[in-house]
Amino acid sequence: MGFEKFGRFGYVSQTKIIPLLSYLEKGQIAATKCKKCGRTYFPPRVDCLDDRHSAIEWVVLDGKSSLVTFTKIFFAPPAFQPETPYLLGLAEFPNGLRVFAPISPAVDEKQLKPGTQLSLKVAKGSRDNLFYWLE
Amino acid sequence: MSLGSIEVLGRIAIIGVGHSKFGKRSDASLRELAFEAYSLALDDADMDSSKIDGSVVCSATHYDKQRSPAGVVAEYLGLNPQPTFNIEAACASSAVGLRTAWALVSSKLHDIIAVVGVQKMTELSNEEIQELMGRAGDVMWESPFGTTMPAYYAMYATAHMAKYGTTEEQMALVPVKSRKYGSKNPNAMFQKPITTEEVLKSRPVSAPLKLFDCCANADGAACLIIANAEKARKLTDRPVWVAGLGLASSPMSLAGRKGPMTSFDVTKNAAKTAYKMARINPNDVDVAEVHDSFSITEILNYEDLGFAKPGGGTRLLEKGETELGGKIPVNIDGGLISKGHPVGATGASQLFALTKQLRGEAGSTQVDGAKIGLAQNIGGIGMYAAVTILKA
Repeated sequence: MGFEKFGRFGYVSQTKIIPLLSYLEKGQIAATKCKKCGRTYFPPRVDCLDDRHSAIEWVVLDGKSSLVTFTKIFFAPPAFQPETPYLLGLAEFPNGLRVFAPISPAVDEKQLKPGTQLSLKVAKGSRDNLFYWLE
Repeated sequence: MSLGSIEVLGRIAIIGVGHSKFGKRSDASLRELAFEAYSLALDDADMDSSKIDGSVVCSATHYDKQRSPAGVVAEYLGLNPQPTFNIEAACASSAVGLRTAWALVSSKLHDIIAVVGVQKMTELSNEEIQELMGRAGDVMWESPFGTTMPAYYAMYATAHMAKYGTTEEQMALVPVKSRKYGSKNPNAMFQKPITTEEVLKSRPVSAPLKLFDCCANADGAACLIIANAEKARKLTDRPVWVAGLGLASSPMSLAGRKGPMTSFDVTKNAAKTAYKMARINPNDVDVAEVHDSFSITEILNYEDLGFAKPGGGTRLLEKGETELGGKIPVNIDGGLISKGHPVGATGASQLFALTKQLRGEAGSTQVDGAKIGLAQNIGGIGMYAAVTILKA
């Protein structure tokens, strides 16, 4: 199985970023960092925009984040219809990078507003798929 | 921007416009819809096909059964062997088509170009539409979580509500206004007014957006005939000049965008270029068409285009300033919310409405003395935006 293992329903199978899956399997969220300039990327990418020919390394994030905005989806694409309704959020890490992720159904929806402190954690799906969500 | 390129502006004109009926057009195929708009544009320009020396076919082709639709469209319009190709920028396809035609004509590669925006969406099953909709965002990092087109705009709405106290009742004023004018537009998909209560009671799609906050998928076509100044003056006594063209991009992923998610930088950047090229400011605009894919989008657009200050979009709406007779009438052809949104045709539909206004041919919704019109067209989930300024 390739990168389609990522997400609640993955579309893309082939990518250079596949090592992310081994971090998720260990319960870790990882970003990439340029070995030359130190610029960090999340979602991870293998190509540094500032040093196009340098290598990247993986760094583990602690997942602490602040909610920027969110929505609750009632009308979903076919693969996601059994889960409706569900919450999706955009959150910001202390380093300013952002993550788009589902919000765990265990979170009290009434507490959600921009600025709410959440934590990005690894989650496992029923089809051996791996992803992360905000708790 | 060099002065040279500004000097060229004003020399390219829209000399003919055509618009099909939008909606669930189970009577017509893609090529036939294109012909309806094209034929009306030729009538409007009082010319025949022989003078058209190229076609730019604008369509978000993933919705079409036909692969590479420019091929069949050019054939069906009788535009072989002239050059033709597709332009795709999601919902902004035909605004980008105008930009392309402008470049083709101002470079003198061509004299007269037909820009044909066309989309056939209702032939797809709901399942197919929903599957396509699920891949509207970044397919690697966002679609795998079950995103939809409304979800992205709903997230902007949540942020705007939290920052400025915008309410669902205020957002509902957008569809209420749109549908009021949609009832006066014979080409609109929805021609019945609705009430705030009906909007608020419609079923949730992606909170806080409900069904009547959203535009609908539709079939339809709109066509613009573009010419250089020499041909325009020879062929028509009512040219409408392309005075400003702004186009910008934003990261496609929501996580790649900055700020509190209460405005679209992509619109602000496109507007800045367009205002500069046209040498006007927002107060000079007499009539506007903005991309109301969702109720919240229209409110954000007022602010991003400079019609209102940040957070002031709802006030403009409540004071009736964007109604006919207000300070800056917006979407008085009914907007996407009434007309329906045949993706590739929407940008040309906006420019059709402005052309009619600037010629004084808009009938019961005519803005008295309109001389400057602005159209703003967002592509997809906000990765593209075009702002076009036309002058009578």
